[in-house]
Amino acid sequence: MSIKVKTIVRNGRSWQERLYLIEVFKGMAITFRHFLSNFLDNSKLAVRHYPEVKPEITPRWRGRHRLTTHEDGTIKCVACYMCQTNCPAQCIQIEAGERGDDRTEKVPVKFDIDLLECIYCGYCVEACPMDAIRMDTGIFSVTSSTREEMKMSIDQLLATKGAFSEEEYKKGGA
Amino acid sequence: MAEMVKLSVNGQEVEVEAGKNLIDAVGAVGIEIPHLCYHPALGADGNCRMCLVGIEDGRPPLVPACKTQAAEGMKVQLDAEHIKKIQHDVMELELINHPTDCPICDQAGECALQDYYQKYDGQESRMTVPQVQKSKKLDFGCGVVHDQERCILCARCVRFTRQITKTGELGIVNRTDDARVTIFPGRPLNNRYALNVVDLCPVGAMTSKDFRFKQRVWFLSRDKGVCHGCSKGCNIFIDHNKEKYKDDIIYRFRPRQNDQVNGYFICDEGRMTYKKENEDRLTVAKVNNAESIISSAVDTLKNAVSSSSNPVFLVSPNCSLEQMFAIKKLGETKGATLCGFSDGYIKQGDGDDLLIQDDKSANRAGLELLGVDTSKEAFQSAMKEADLLVNFNSDLTNSFDADTLDELLANCKFVMVATTQDILTDRAEIVIPVAAYSEYSGSVINADNILQMFNKAVVKNEPFDDIVNIVSRIGGDIEDNSAAWAGMKASVPTLKDVEPEQIPEQGLALNS
Repeated sequence: MSIKVKTIVRNGRSWQERLYLIEVFKGMAITFRHFLSNFLDNSKLAVRHYPEVKPEITPRWRGRHRLTTHEDGTIKCVACYMCQTNCPAQCIQIEAGERGDDRTEKVPVKFDIDLLECIYCGYCVEACPMDAIRMDTGIFSVTSSTREEMKMSIDQLLATKGAFSEEEYKKGGA
Repeated sequence: MAEMVKLSVNGQEVEVEAGKNLIDAVGAVGIEIPHLCYHPALGADGNCRMCLVGIEDGRPPLVPACKTQAAEGMKVQLDAEHIKKIQHDVMELELINHPTDCPICDQAGECALQDYYQKYDGQESRMTVPQVQKSKKLDFGCGVVHDQERCILCARCVRFTRQITKTGELGIVNRTDDARVTIFPGRPLNNRYALNVVDLCPVGAMTSKDFRFKQRVWFLSRDKGVCHGCSKGCNIFIDHNKEKYKDDIIYRFRPRQNDQVNGYFICDEGRMTYKKENEDRLTVAKVNNAESIISSAVDTLKNAVSSSSNPVFLVSPNCSLEQMFAIKKLGETKGATLCGFSDGYIKQGDGDDLLIQDDKSANRAGLELLGVDTSKEAFQSAMKEADLLVNFNSDLTNSFDADTLDELLANCKFVMVATTQDILTDRAEIVIPVAAYSEYSGSVINADNILQMFNKAVVKNEPFDDIVNIVSRIGGDIEDNSAAWAGMKASVPTLKDVEPEQIPEQGLALNS
C-alpha cells in the first residue's frame, strides 16, 4: 500500500499576483457588486434584521427555564432535588416544604435558578421525574443590568408559559 | 477472643466467629447477606425472608440466615440460581404495594429497599391492579411521622418499643395486604428514645418531623462524633452540609454503633442537641460592651489576667480533656484559682438505666481526673476574693439564679470564653467566641470512665479557635492537643500509658 501524496497548488506566486494592486481591485469589484445588488434589492440579504426580526426557535432549543403546572394551576414540582443534584453548574437552589393540597406531600417553597451560573445544558430537564422543569420558553436572550435580576425565583419561573404546543414539544423528543 | 469456626460461602473458605448468626458472622468478614427485618439489637424475627440462604448438603437445605448459627464446615450458598430467584421474588413481593415515591421520600439514598431493588430485582412492576391505599403522614408523637404505604412490615419499630424501651406503643394490626403499623388510639409514642425507630426503619415509613424535607441525604457529609448531651458520651454521626454560598450546618445526629458505650441507639434529647451547635452561636468578640475583633479581645484578656491579683478560672465540664489541661496549666502559671463547679449540669433523677444520665455534661470524669475542684464551697469562697472571673464556656445560669449571679459577680471583672450567646455573654465585659465540640478535635471521659477521642467534623466559613488555642494566646504553655497530651502523660498517672493516636474507636476503658 503506497502513501497517497496530494500536491497543493500554491497561489500568489505569478507576477500578476505579485503586483498586488490588480488583486486589490479584483477584490473591491466583488465587494461593490454585492453592495450594489443588496442596495437595490435587500430581499435576498443573507442576514437577519435582529432584533426586529427574531429567529425561529425549534422546540428542542434549550432556552430559559420555566416550572410547569398541572391543569388546575398547581405546581408540578415535588422538590425531589433531582435537578439540583444533577446540575453541573450548581445553579439551582431548592428549599422544600409541606404541600397543602392532597397531590403529594412535598413542594418547593424556594426554587432559585441563577441564570448567570447556568450553562444551559438541560440536565435539569432530563433529570426531572415530574416533567416539572422545562426549557421551552423560547427565551434565548437573557439580559439584565443587575446580578440580582438574573436570579430567577419560583414565581418568575412559574409565570412564564411555554412557547410551543404540547405536541410540538413532545415531537422534539421530550 | 471468641471461638472461630471455618465455613465456606459460595465455595470461598472463611473463618468467622462462632455463636453468631450467619448474617453477623459472615457480615463481619465483608460478605453481605441481604436482610430487612433482622437488626443485631432487636434479634432475629425471620419475617422478611430476604436472608434465605442455601446450605449445601444441609437439612433443611434452605434456611433464614438470621436464625441460623454459624457452624463448622457449613457450606453456605448465596449466589446459587435458586437463592437469587428467592431474593428477586421477595423483592418483588415487598414492592407490590410499596409506593415508588422515592423522589419525595426522605429515606431515598439510604433505603434498604432501594438498594436491594438495584442489586437483586431491577425489573418493572408486573402489577396490573391498583395498589392498596393506606394512611400517610400519621403523627405518631415524639416527632415521628409514619407512612403506612411505604411500610414493609419488618416490625423493627414494633420490636424496638417492646424490647428496648419496653413501652410497646406500636403494633401491627390487620392481616395480609391490609396489615399496618399503628399506635393505640390516643396513645402516641411516648418514650425518650422514640426517634430511633426512624433510624431502624429500613424504608421511609418512619421519618423524623425535625429532619423531614430539610435535606436529601446524599448531600450530607457524615462525620464521626461524640454526643455532648450527657455524660454517657454516645457515639454519633454528625450529618452536616455546606450549601453553596451558605455556612456549614449540622442537619441531624444519628447513632453510631459502639458496643462499649451506647450500643446502637441514642436518646431523643441528645439527638436534638445538634440545634445548639447551629443556633444562637456567639459570633463576635466584645470588649467593654463594644464589638471588637477577636485578636484584640484576646489581647485585652491577656492583659487583664496578667494585671489581676486574684483571678479565678471556671472550666466547663463539657470541655475536652486537652482544653481542661491547658486551662489548668495556664492557671498554675498565672496563679489563678481553678474551679470546675457545675452542679447545675446535674439533673437529679433524670437518668435511666438505658442511656440517659443525670449528669448533662460530657467530661466531668475528666475534671475529676485532672484534680479540678468541683465543689460549690470552693467556687464561692474563691469568688469572694476574686477580682477577675474567666469563664470557659460553663453555663452558670443553670446553677445560680439571676440575683445570686449579680451578687457573685458584683466585685469582679467577668470574662466569657463561650460558644453560645446567652445572658452571661450579655453581661460579660470581655467576650471571646470559640469553636463548639463539632468544630474541634479532642477527647472526653464518660460516666463509665471510658476515654473517647473525636475529630473535627464541621468546618465553618469563619472558623473559631479552639479553647486550647485561645488559652495559649493568653499566655499558656500548651499550644495544641499533642502538647496537652504530652503534659497529661507526664502529670496524670492514669493517662501515663495512653497513646492518644492509639485510642480505639470503641473508646479506651480507663482503670482508676
